[in-house]
Amino acid sequence: MRYYPFFPGCSLGATAVAYGDSVKAVAGPLEMELIELEDWNCCGSTPYGSTDEPEAVCIAARNLALAEKTGLDLVTPCSACYTTLQNANHNIQTYPDLKDRVNDALGAAGLEYGGKVRVRHLAEVIFTDIGLEAIESKVVNKLTGLKVAPYYGCQLVRPHRGFDDPEHPQTLDRLITSLGAEAVPFPLKSRCCGGSLIIPEPNLALGLIHQILDSATANGAECIITPCPLCQTNLDAYQGMVNARFKTRYEIPILFFTQLIGLAFGIDPKALGLDKGAVSAKRVLDPYLAVAK
Amino acid sequence: MGTKAYFMIKTAREAGGEGYEEALKALEAMPEVESIESVSGDYDHVARIHAPKSVVSVANKILENEWIKHLEVFKVETDEPNPFLEEVCAIPAGESIRSCAQCGMCSASCPNIDKMDYSPRKIIALIRAGRRHEALSSNTMWVCASCYLCTVRCPNDVKITEMMHALECLAVDRDLASSRTATPTMYQLFVDSIKKNGRVHELGFMIRFYLKTNPFAAIKMAPVALQLLRHGRMPLRARKIKGTDQIKAILDRAQVLGGAR
Ligand code: SF4
Ligand code: SF4
Repeated sequence: MRYYPFFPGCSLGATAVAYGDSVKAVAGPLEMELIELEDWNCCGSTPYGSTDEPEAVCIAARNLALAEKTGLDLVTPCSACYTTLQNANHNIQTYPDLKDRVNDALGAAGLEYGGKVRVRHLAEVIFTDIGLEAIESKVVNKLTGLKVAPYYGCQLVRPHRGFDDPEHPQTLDRLITSLGAEAVPFPLKSRCCGGSLIIPEPNLALGLIHQILDSATANGAECIITPCPLCQTNLDAYQGMVNARFKTRYEIPILFFTQLIGLAFGIDPKALGLDKGAVSAKRVLDPYLAVAK
Repeated sequence: MGTKAYFMIKTAREAGGEGYEEALKALEAMPEVESIESVSGDYDHVARIHAPKSVVSVANKILENEWIKHLEVFKVETDEPNPFLEEVCAIPAGESIRSCAQCGMCSASCPNIDKMDYSPRKIIALIRAGRRHEALSSNTMWVCASCYLCTVRCPNDVKITEMMHALECLAVDRDLASSRTATPTMYQLFVDSIKKNGRVHELGFMIRFYLKTNPFAAIKMAPVALQLLRHGRMPLRARKIKGTDQIKAILDRAQVLGGAR
């Protein structure tokens, strides 16, 4: 069993409950124990860093200080949390004067951050620490024939490089194959869905979402998987608006990558939150559920 | 006062030959040349120029020589004080914009460029020209989706996305945030939600957002929200962390300490 302090991020208690459910459901079979960071706060995300940078880094650092006490790597399933916490961490580690200032502020709450935490994305942990072989060995319900588009989004692979290519990533593709399904070619796999701009700039974001859905379906995808709560909400909950605006008829379920893993592990679809999509996954996944039972 | 620039110079004859020596001597004799360094590769010399009038006239003076084969001007900056540039450079990673070569790769990569007043490349040029008001009142940074494509593609490692965030902070600070985009309002409400609860309460801040910006848009968005609600993806109540007083103490102290890195 591997132990990880876990930073779920705000979406996992709201728009991305299905992500939280499915992460919980597959953690056991993957022999990981994710221990929620006690009383974590919102990472601040892009909005805070774009409003008041000095405050934002301190807000993010409170979480890093809490995590440092555990002495282990901090794992988050959210790509936006990952980038925000990682940016703050990187800047604190790079600029000693910034680190002093952050610690001065954290001191007001009796906290301190030494700069030692490693922030990691859950997808990276699953691919590197657990590995595809171990995943494959747990597959009881091969998803043979299911055509899946791997949507990485931006912030899992950019700007912090390391575990996959920033523009042509491959890990999710390989995951899909190891579950018995087929990864379709997907040129826009790491393009932007607009993120939180869907709220203040819907025209801009709907255009981006449209392009991504088009790229996936044009290549025959029956569903899309993603490791990002923002991407999932944009592609799923706003699919209807895209259809209305662009006179399209997309009806493609958007799953979290952990849901697909769970499905291949034969886990009960309800426990994976597969009923929570705005676009129903029923039609596409039913043939595979039957096998699961 | 004047302008500083770097010239990349290729001499007419092979490096190490006569042309090379001649060029070195002639450049050293020029009052505008501050320093000169010999390099290998596509060019033979890099000269740092201080042009009291114009960079072009210095370049033309050099181009009159027989020994010159090729000259490229690279990195022009004025040595007049530019407090705006200094402000941007003071944010973490901000100093990277000094190495921008204005190649345009960032602009060519940006998915949202057609919505921007100025492209990412142009914004950098504006900062380096000290044009604070134009840069900070533009909508450019507010339609940046933080996709980091520009950043990973920049050949000079300029942290463009971080710069966009810094411009947003500076615009908010100076009360110049563009009113043609609702992003600043949304960001502010998002921050307020964190300050109050320690976490973001999506439904709460979205309702406040639509009431503040465009209640009619809320009607268009209602089906999305209802669907999320129906699937248990939009909790009605905010979740408050235990350490909200910690958050407040940290932020109060952070405010006293202020910005510059
Ligand atoms: S890609 Fe980099 S060097 Fe080129 S214009 Fe943009 S910031 Fe400057
Ligand atoms: S990070 Fe912003 S500026 Fe850079 S390419 Fe993406 S949207 Fe454009």
